[in-house]
Amino acid sequence: MKAMGIIFSNIYDSTLAELTGVRTIASLPFGGRYRQIDFVLSDMSNSGIYNIGIITKYNYRSLMDHLGSCADWDLNRKNESVVILPPFAEGDNSVYHGKLEALHTAVHFLERADYDYVVVCDSTVLCNIDFRPVIAYHIRSGCDVTVIAKKETKSSGKKRPLILKTNRKHTVTDMMLDTAVRPEYYTGMGMFVFNRQQLVDTLNDTYPKGLTHLEKDYLQRRFNDGSIKISVYPFTGVVLQNQDVLSYYKNSLRLLEKDVRDGLFNPDFPIYTKIRDEAPTYYCEGSEINDCLIADGCTLYGSVKKSILFRDVFVDKGARIESCVVMQGTRIGKGANIRHVIFDKDATVRDGTVLIGSPEHPIIIQKGETV
Amino acid sequence: MRFQKKMCVAMILAGGQGSRLTVLTEKTAKPAVPFGGKYRMIDFPLSNCVNSGIDTVGILTQYQPLQLNEYIGHGRPWGLSSSNGGVHVLSPYSRSESAEWYRGTANAIYQNLPFMERYNPDNVLILSGDHIYKMNYSGILSVHTANNADCTIAVLNVPIEEASRFGIMTTDETGRITEFQEKPKNPTSTKASMGIYVFRWEVLKKYLTEDNEDPTSSNDFGKNVIPSMLRDGLRLFAYEFSGYWRDVGTIASLWQANMDILGEEPLLNIREERDRIYSRHYSHPCSYIESGSEIVNSYIAEGSSIYGKVYNSIISTGCTIEQGAEIHNSVVMPNAVIERRSIVRYSIIGEDAVVHANARIGDNPEFYEKNKWDIAVVGSGKEVPQNKAILPKEVY
Repeated sequence: MKAMGIIFSNIYDSTLAELTGVRTIASLPFGGRYRQIDFVLSDMSNSGIYNIGIITKYNYRSLMDHLGSCADWDLNRKNESVVILPPFAEGDNSVYHGKLEALHTAVHFLERADYDYVVVCDSTVLCNIDFRPVIAYHIRSGCDVTVIAKKETKSSGKKRPLILKTNRKHTVTDMMLDTAVRPEYYTGMGMFVFNRQQLVDTLNDTYPKGLTHLEKDYLQRRFNDGSIKISVYPFTGVVLQNQDVLSYYKNSLRLLEKDVRDGLFNPDFPIYTKIRDEAPTYYCEGSEINDCLIADGCTLYGSVKKSILFRDVFVDKGARIESCVVMQGTRIGKGANIRHVIFDKDATVRDGTVLIGSPEHPIIIQKGETV
Repeated sequence: MRFQKKMCVAMILAGGQGSRLTVLTEKTAKPAVPFGGKYRMIDFPLSNCVNSGIDTVGILTQYQPLQLNEYIGHGRPWGLSSSNGGVHVLSPYSRSESAEWYRGTANAIYQNLPFMERYNPDNVLILSGDHIYKMNYSGILSVHTANNADCTIAVLNVPIEEASRFGIMTTDETGRITEFQEKPKNPTSTKASMGIYVFRWEVLKKYLTEDNEDPTSSNDFGKNVIPSMLRDGLRLFAYEFSGYWRDVGTIASLWQANMDILGEEPLLNIREERDRIYSRHYSHPCSYIESGSEIVNSYIAEGSSIYGKVYNSIISTGCTIEQGAEIHNSVVMPNAVIERRSIVRYSIIGEDAVVHANARIGDNPEFYEKNKWDIAVVGSGKEVPQNKAILPKEVY
């Protein structure tokens, strides 16, 4: 049961435009020291998936800088490796529109690989999952595609790309796209297992026909005409998905809940990230830190409450921070009063500044900005 | 195989058992003892080498090498995984005619002459694996070259009353060493050897070979090699260093050196961007600091959960300080757990140790007569039962 991996790095960029102006959604910082892609990449590495293609579209410099040789994820190996797949320019169609079309840029990579299965993932799914039992499950089910999904207990107005109903054997009996979450249905997590050869054949078939959308043009179409069987792998752990700025903000603060942290961070199945050599964080006399997640390399004089501080953050004397996400390298000046704010990297807050957002509308300070 | 010539090869002596660190070195070599929250002692000389542009380093080890070997690995955390040079852990090995352990500092280097020979260096830098300091070695190397010296020894001015614990050097006005006394009873100078030597390669090779053939020698740089070079009238110079430097051979000095990184303007600044200290990382998430906790003048490394109170202390990676627990003026080494309502004062808690609830470890010095008080120590991996009291100076 040899499996390889494919990760999409850009798919939902536009939904988080305020934070993805300078990067792919895959390299969006999350959780104090990670980039979003660290989760799925670590999951693959921990599951023994070492041959991975990362499909990119644009803005991928920060992603390449982050990944380097991938040794920090234990993925710098001899015969298997992580390959960044930039858009494969063919005439005018250099930039793709849907996941199916995006996968076509990886068709050569998929064709020449000697693996039976392909795990295809969005880079925005934040969870701790072992793909080995999922692949075993996919093989046992005999289905063409397995969708990793989470069972919903209550309805919500939130629209999700893939909603599925199954029979008792977890075989899909009903499929809806871009619709509201409903109880007893499964919500697709943007993680799939395909049979490699079948995926290659599909891509070679759909691409010339101009079909671009994975869920609509492949899964739903083939499911409806009865030519493929789809099964659901029910995932019961913690899943966070950052689909817009508000969910990014709320999910960040959810990390302050112990269950969420325990669900994402398992010492036996660690989430890796690029290593930087900061000193531990220094808590000065007079600092007051309550209910916070704090990375290395910070120097803290002020008061910080219910917030996430990334690496190298400096909080000066008398500053008060509450319910904020403060990315790497940000400096908060003396006596500043900050609530409900997302600071992108290397922002500066001048002494005495007051910035108050609201829980439903956090203020965003752009990378490198001074306020 | 061909090797490129190197200007300088560094050799770090890391063979010491560190028996004075008692329970902290039961299962590990002294240079692998944790320091400063996320480092190990060896990170300091190793990072100094990297920050000085030295890319070929041999680490000489013979006592409990497993953890040190594992820690150094291929050297990538220090950028020393280069295929031309890089870091090499050098253990004693058996040759066709003999097999022996390292018999002393000079003998350890002697046994590894073939390692250095491959790089045909101009100079060899000899360092210790258990000193905590930041130093850019390009200073001593350029002084060494400018003096056309055979050997240059880094020295530190120490108080005269402490001088008899060190190798003491007397120099003329040009810095040339005229006299060297190992641990003199009546020191005539305060220039103490820091155990950092630069040797001209040809000279080192000659004197180590001679030293090895001398059955009366104790094969030590300070006792044998340096004195015989002086006797022969070679050019030996002292290089004065004025920064922070500590030999952390004892529990008290290990504790003190850890305390020296605390404060807004610490004696040893590990926060500054310049001359970073690198270390091997284990994937820990961020630290979680619970509301109701209190942290004053302390370092907390990643992967820790703090529910209790921490004052003037170092909490290393992956530790848990439970609710109601208090840590005062102490060093808690990686992955240790301090359970509810346990109070730790002036102590070192070893790696992976567990202090169960309501324990009392160590105490403030002011309540004790001077010779009755010292740092309390809980060994690596030890479990302190509930309600147990461990007195100052006690080693558990």
